[in-house]
Amino acid sequence: MEELILQLKQEIIKVLNLEDVKPETIADDAPLFGDGLGLDSIDALELIVLMEKTYGIKLEDPARGREIFKSIRVMAEYIHANRRK
Amino acid sequence: MPQSIKRYSYITDRLALVDGKTLPVAAAEATEEGNFLTLLYRSLGIDYPKFFKMDSLSKLGFLASELILKDESPRFTPREDVAVVCLNRSSSLSTDVQHQASIQHEDSCYPSPSVFVYTLPNIVAGEIAIRNKLLGETSFYVCREWSAQLLLRMASLSFCDACTRAVLAAWVERFDGVSEAFMMLVERDGLSGIPFSAEHVEMLYQNTKTQNT
Amino acid sequence: MPRKAAITGIGVVSALGAGREPTLAALREGRTGIAPVRYLKTSHTEFLVGEVKLSDEEMTRALRIPESQATTRTSLMGMVAVREALAHARLQRKSGLRIALVSGTTVGGMDKSEQYYLDFLAGDTQNAYISTHSCGACTEMIADYFGIFSRVQTISTACSSAANAIMLGAMLVEEGRVDVAVAGGSECLTKFHLNGFNTLMILDRGQCKPFDARRAGLNLGEGAAYLVLEAEDALGGRGVEPLCRISGYANTCDAYHQTASSPNGDGAYLSMAKALEAAQLTPQDISYINAHGTGTENNDLSEGQAIQRLFCGGIPPVSSTKSFTGHATSAAGGVEAVISTLALQHSFIPANLNFAQPMPELSFTPAAGGDSPAPLRHVLSNSFGFGGNDTSLIFSKI
Repeated sequence: MEELILQLKQEIIKVLNLEDVKPETIADDAPLFGDGLGLDSIDALELIVLMEKTYGIKLEDPARGREIFKSIRVMAEYIHANRRK
Repeated sequence: MPQSIKRYSYITDRLALVDGKTLPVAAAEATEEGNFLTLLYRSLGIDYPKFFKMDSLSKLGFLASELILKDESPRFTPREDVAVVCLNRSSSLSTDVQHQASIQHEDSCYPSPSVFVYTLPNIVAGEIAIRNKLLGETSFYVCREWSAQLLLRMASLSFCDACTRAVLAAWVERFDGVSEAFMMLVERDGLSGIPFSAEHVEMLYQNTKTQNT
Repeated sequence: MPRKAAITGIGVVSALGAGREPTLAALREGRTGIAPVRYLKTSHTEFLVGEVKLSDEEMTRALRIPESQATTRTSLMGMVAVREALAHARLQRKSGLRIALVSGTTVGGMDKSEQYYLDFLAGDTQNAYISTHSCGACTEMIADYFGIFSRVQTISTACSSAANAIMLGAMLVEEGRVDVAVAGGSECLTKFHLNGFNTLMILDRGQCKPFDARRAGLNLGEGAAYLVLEAEDALGGRGVEPLCRISGYANTCDAYHQTASSPNGDGAYLSMAKALEAAQLTPQDISYINAHGTGTENNDLSEGQAIQRLFCGGIPPVSSTKSFTGHATSAAGGVEAVISTLALQHSFIPANLNFAQPMPELSFTPAAGGDSPAPLRHVLSNSFGFGGNDTSLIFSKI
């Protein structure tokens, strides 16, 4: 799990162009949206693409993303349980 | 009182100028265009992480506006009386190509929402408006080539709205290895002494351009 | 009163058909044009679309264009609509007038580009469709077909493009820079933006449901629509009757997000308020609002809030005719300007189809449609584009 969390942080930094953010500065349980990393609706959609492209998980309902992208840990747990790649 | 040009900026993939003066950006370190824009962003001391999410057309326009507005005061208070008018030749083609590549092959079709957003040229005007809270008119025109006359004509139209006091008027072009932004802050009752006329716009543009090529 | 632009002709092609008559009939009968994909070559057949039910070949033949000539769907639809508008306004080829063509498009010739892109990558650099790709080229093809325009201009501001073209056309006429402006927009469906909107997850798989609590996104559409605009005080010389006038317009920026509208609809509020001001009207003067109403969660809430705030003294009938035509993106403002003109002329309120469940956030529900008890006087039409580009146009009876 820890490995997946770190990998996920690196991927998120890359696909969301978080130029000045380092993996170690993202807390595993901190909220991704809202104040946290300042992500917006487009970033949420980009995370949905990331889940499909890298882990083979297809989210049909963007509203589901709100629960899954709560924090890095929640996201990693979801990927761990549902990944096809 | 005639409209006048208060300040103007010029950016390519190697240099940046304000009012005809080159900015001391460590150009030697810049090996590619994206790299230079990032260096310029850093040298201006801007803290706006959204910059890194923009496509290169928006980065160009955004930085051109920062060069012009950084010393304006007050900044970031909502303004209904400032318009943003942009022109270019290649529309959003540099990003269109990226989006197209992502949907070219059915077996690996992963279009990126954040790339698709920038397949619209007017997003650059929107980015400038978002950063500076400009609620006035925003517009984007695509034309065959640089034209001082057309830029003047389109920016002048924004002044038809009696409420408009200033216009950020720009040429923002990015495609096929060419990056060029030329932006002016035009004021309705300005005191800068540079009249907003086709001759002056052409002169400022040509002088800045030839001086540095 | 300052000089205003009168509308003397309209032309339209959309999912509702080619021409103002079929458009009017479909609107009055509550018949949508949104259907499964038939013409666009895409694997995304799960989405419903508002296609123009004419193939490129059919339009080419109808326009008597040689088959060997390179054209795009955007330019063909544009020619069909401009031709109708010019005939409606009885504008002759040798009129001696200074006529401008102002056209909005964002997708331009992308349909042909995606058809030939692989050939191009494989080295086919002589392909005739390379030069038809750009937005400007599509407008120029329309202009060349008629050969009457002394000024040709393309506006590309996403889904408000055609509305902005109409605004610019009205300005050119009011300022006397041209005698006539033919203004509107044209946009064909492409895989390029169908995929793009899909990745933004704002496409409804069923019929779109604007201003409904169950709304789940938009249906993409396509089409072209143009208005012929001329100065009211110059109409006598030509002996034509105006259909209505453009009494006000405004473009503002929401300055909130690249694609999302602000929660309170600040940009939308401002564009409507400024258009009313320009028309010297109060909110109470508006008889009908043709909303942008895409059917996405975000737009309808934001636009609804703005309408609620501005029309707090009484909200006129509101409907989104995108439930008939789909969202014709850059052409939408043109199609809806034509619909607004038809509504004014025939004093009816176009329906907001597929509505069943009110939005809890809004105090109003969209109009069911039908004949208006009192003649319509002023119609407000909204068109909002990505980039926070918000435009409102007001059409008034003369």
